[in-house]
Amino acid sequence: MIEVRNLTKRYGNRIAVDDLNFTIGQGRIYGFLGPNGAGKSTTMNIMTGYLAPSAGDVLIDGVSIVDMPEKAKTHIGYLPEIPPLYSDMTVREYLSFAAELRKVPRRKIRERCDAVMADLSLVECADRLIRNLSKGYRQRIGLAQALVHEPETLILDEPTVGLDPKQIIEIRELIKKLGKKHTVILSSHILAEVSEICDTILILSGGKLKASGSPAELTKGQSGAIAVTVTSPADEKKILAALSPKLSKGQVRFSSDPAGLVRAEITIGEETVRNDPELASDPRRFVSGLLAQASCPYYSVEIMESSLEKIFLELTEEQETAAERKAAAEPENGKEAGE
Amino acid sequence: MRAVYKKELRSSFTTMTGPVAIAVMLFIAGYMFRTYNLANGLSSVIYAVFNSSLIFYFVVPILSMRVFAEERRQRTDQLLFTAPVRLIDIILGKYFALVTVFAVPVLVLCTMPVVLRPSGGSTPALDYAGILVFFLMGCAYLSAGMFISTLTENLIVSAILNILFVAVTMMIHNAYSMISGTVFTSMIFFVVLSFLIGIAVYAMTGFYWLSIGVLTVLAAVSLILSYMESGFITGSAEKILGILDFYSHFESFVYETFSLTDIAYFISAIAVGIILTHTSIVRRRWN
Repeated sequence: MIEVRNLTKRYGNRIAVDDLNFTIGQGRIYGFLGPNGAGKSTTMNIMTGYLAPSAGDVLIDGVSIVDMPEKAKTHIGYLPEIPPLYSDMTVREYLSFAAELRKVPRRKIRERCDAVMADLSLVECADRLIRNLSKGYRQRIGLAQALVHEPETLILDEPTVGLDPKQIIEIRELIKKLGKKHTVILSSHILAEVSEICDTILILSGGKLKASGSPAELTKGQSGAIAVTVTSPADEKKILAALSPKLSKGQVRFSSDPAGLVRAEITIGEETVRNDPELASDPRRFVSGLLAQASCPYYSVEIMESSLEKIFLELTEEQETAAERKAAAEPENGKEAGE
Repeated sequence: MRAVYKKELRSSFTTMTGPVAIAVMLFIAGYMFRTYNLANGLSSVIYAVFNSSLIFYFVVPILSMRVFAEERRQRTDQLLFTAPVRLIDIILGKYFALVTVFAVPVLVLCTMPVVLRPSGGSTPALDYAGILVFFLMGCAYLSAGMFISTLTENLIVSAILNILFVAVTMMIHNAYSMISGTVFTSMIFFVVLSFLIGIAVYAMTGFYWLSIGVLTVLAAVSLILSYMESGFITGSAEKILGILDFYSHFESFVYETFSLTDIAYFISAIAVGIILTHTSIVRRRWN
């Protein structure tokens, strides 16, 4: 379990992490989501003991990373944004070094290295120099290094950045697998990634925690409304007529798509959703059913995933403008605080 | 400490640094040995060793420029500093690896008196004392070089600062008379020193006004002292310059005086380098 308490980090007069508080439980995948410069990497660097906080503390299984760093660090495996690899070593040499550094008992080092190399499909390149390996391999070696001492918690900073789509999928699968045995905390600025892999999302912006919860909780917490998009070759009137038995005109917004089809964005209000559990469980069926009854042709009916995206944008934008306003109002105070 | 030591030593020999540093040292020391002992028939190797101190200009930057600078540049320091290892163990592991590489050619120097033995007249005690001080001086340079490598992630800057440091400590004895010769030059020296201390205070604490205050007080004190205690100020200038004077502490061995003070001097220099390295890294964590 990791408790982050009143964590603050200042760089000169810039506040990178601002009074952050959260608790991370056991055995799940957590995602830090936020735009670039939101304080994700800084928070992770403090949680792993690489940087010291300006104020506050991080407790790892009750052990403070500030007061007892050697003890606290044994529970953590860390993959920084750029994997910390020595390019003049072979994969096996590097992993043995990482294991020895992490206090793996001497007689278990070989066994542990073999195990992580097998887990991460690195066996075939065990004796190759890291310098000669591709980015995808390097990322996996970085993961292997973080896993070699069997930590309870894995902290991964932007684990999929710079990989090709196939490698991204591989790494995501791997993280999901790891999430069954370890607590995984990863950061990303890609919403789709976080909502796909993580059980719990922590949205960071301007160094503050803006929201946290499961993807479903986050979208529900904001509003119970569901948005569905229909593309159809029929005209607007026909679509409206088809939907009219259950939906009013105000709930539908029309636009045209590049192919000349009509796009209808249907917002189904919170009240309607709550009164109709069938609709809540499958809104697409509800909408397509209405269209079919009226023999209105349609090509697609989709739930707008953008609802989480909207929340994310709202939260982060609001934060940025607030921070800017604050910075503009009191530039001198910030400087003194930095000293 | 063991893990870091082994890794550093390995990488010294899988990259070019170790072999190049050793080759340069052996070449220069061998040349000096040939010139003084074999060609000119001196019985003591002390002059050869003394003149070999030229190698510090090459070897110190080669060995120590990358120690922490490279880790920082490649971001591998994130692996080291997030491992459950004390910082001092990482520093000592790296330092002992440097010393080990440096010890290889020094061991070769140790065979020189043995080679001279059959031709008679060798003074092994003096020779080995000279080699010991040479070794300690090298260790002091490596410790200072390690500190310098924490200041930048640019290897070139690190190497140049290293060479500058060797140059200053080897040549400063020539500047004594120039700086502490008159009250006026001593005063200038102290004012400049006050500025340097002010800058150092700012770099270490980040308090702008504190550093200005320290600077002003120190500069004022040096001005007042130069009017009231001119003898004191010229003497102190020489003493302060003497702190950096590696050369004179080494030189005394050539005149066949084994002095524990000089040995203690180099050992303290090693300790200061290690402490500064530690401070510098800790400070960067807090910034």
